[in-house]
Amino acid sequence: MEPELATRLVTSLREAGIDFVSYLPESRLSQILPLMRKDHGFKLAPSASEADAVSIAVGATLGGKQTACYMESTGIYVSCYQLLVVALHLRVPVLLLVSHLGGFDDQRNSFLYSLAGRRLIPQFEALDIEFKVLENGNHLEQDIGNAVRTMNALREPVALVFTGDFTV
Amino acid sequence: MNRYECLQSLLPLITDHLVVTSQSGQRIEWGSLSKHEGNLLLGEMGAALSVGAGLALALPKRKIVVLESDGSVLLALSSLATLANLEISNLAVFVFDNGAYSGTRISEPTATGGRTDLETVARGAGIERSMTVRDLAGFERHAASAMEGKALSFIVCKVQESLLHRDIPRPDLDLLENKYRFVRYLQQTEGRLPSFIGRG
Repeated sequence: MEPELATRLVTSLREAGIDFVSYLPESRLSQILPLMRKDHGFKLAPSASEADAVSIAVGATLGGKQTACYMESTGIYVSCYQLLVVALHLRVPVLLLVSHLGGFDDQRNSFLYSLAGRRLIPQFEALDIEFKVLENGNHLEQDIGNAVRTMNALREPVALVFTGDFTV
Repeated sequence: MNRYECLQSLLPLITDHLVVTSQSGQRIEWGSLSKHEGNLLLGEMGAALSVGAGLALALPKRKIVVLESDGSVLLALSSLATLANLEISNLAVFVFDNGAYSGTRISEPTATGGRTDLETVARGAGIERSMTVRDLAGFERHAASAMEGKALSFIVCKVQESLLHRDIPRPDLDLLENKYRFVRYLQQTEGRLPSFIGRG
């Protein structure tokens, strides 16, 4: 991801009200982490598993934070149980920031990732989690603002799936 | 020592604390003993540690208490490493370890009924204030200390298997009802609401 796009992504999150991010780092969007760490508007919660990250975000949301949970596509499989029985069952909004590792437009795709990437979207559909795939930053600020508004309206997790230009 | 006795001892220590429980026995017994509006009775295993951690991070001036079981913690061992590295100082975790999956109704042993020691696992994960208590006097002493302390506490409470939770009424608070009661309590005591409330 170009540095300018990473900066816009972090700025958009802050301007949309996100002030807490739990995460397990990955390779496609990782430039956002040092930017968020330097930005005192975010409380960061690194996690050993995406399952932990989702539940931490749920707890922080209930505690009054506007949360995001950042992970790669495989993290959705790992955190599927927590998404279902905690976030969806309790109806708690969390913005899922998911790099589409292994997806069709993943510019660094390989045989290592493609299986997980191909089944990501059906996973969201099975969980009935609203999502939007972003291939570039043309409407990034608007998309993030829309996602935050939607998750609060639905009282459920909503996912932004980053591919294409975000995976360079 | 059984879990219910421990929870009875814990009850007078809870004032404005937030209490998160996992499923199952501790949820039922605590839900029966305490009608505190700061209770969040989760309906599943394997998430209470992390939900409690999220609350602790969001509300650093508030003491968070997590009531867990051995089976539930074993389902989420990564949470121990996560918690240890988040530098949380306002979280007290009580794990009621009976060495069995009581909910199975055939008392299948958990790993702690075999070779696994949760205190050692937690300590190895980096939670320095990890301990095991085996009697009620020890529980009361360590519980009081954990409630007053300013460090992440992880207290493994070795309890006898008890089937009391099958005989007392289950909490009738729906999960969503519980969530809204919980966040309204936070509104009263913290003066703020989550962003998903109040946009009708």
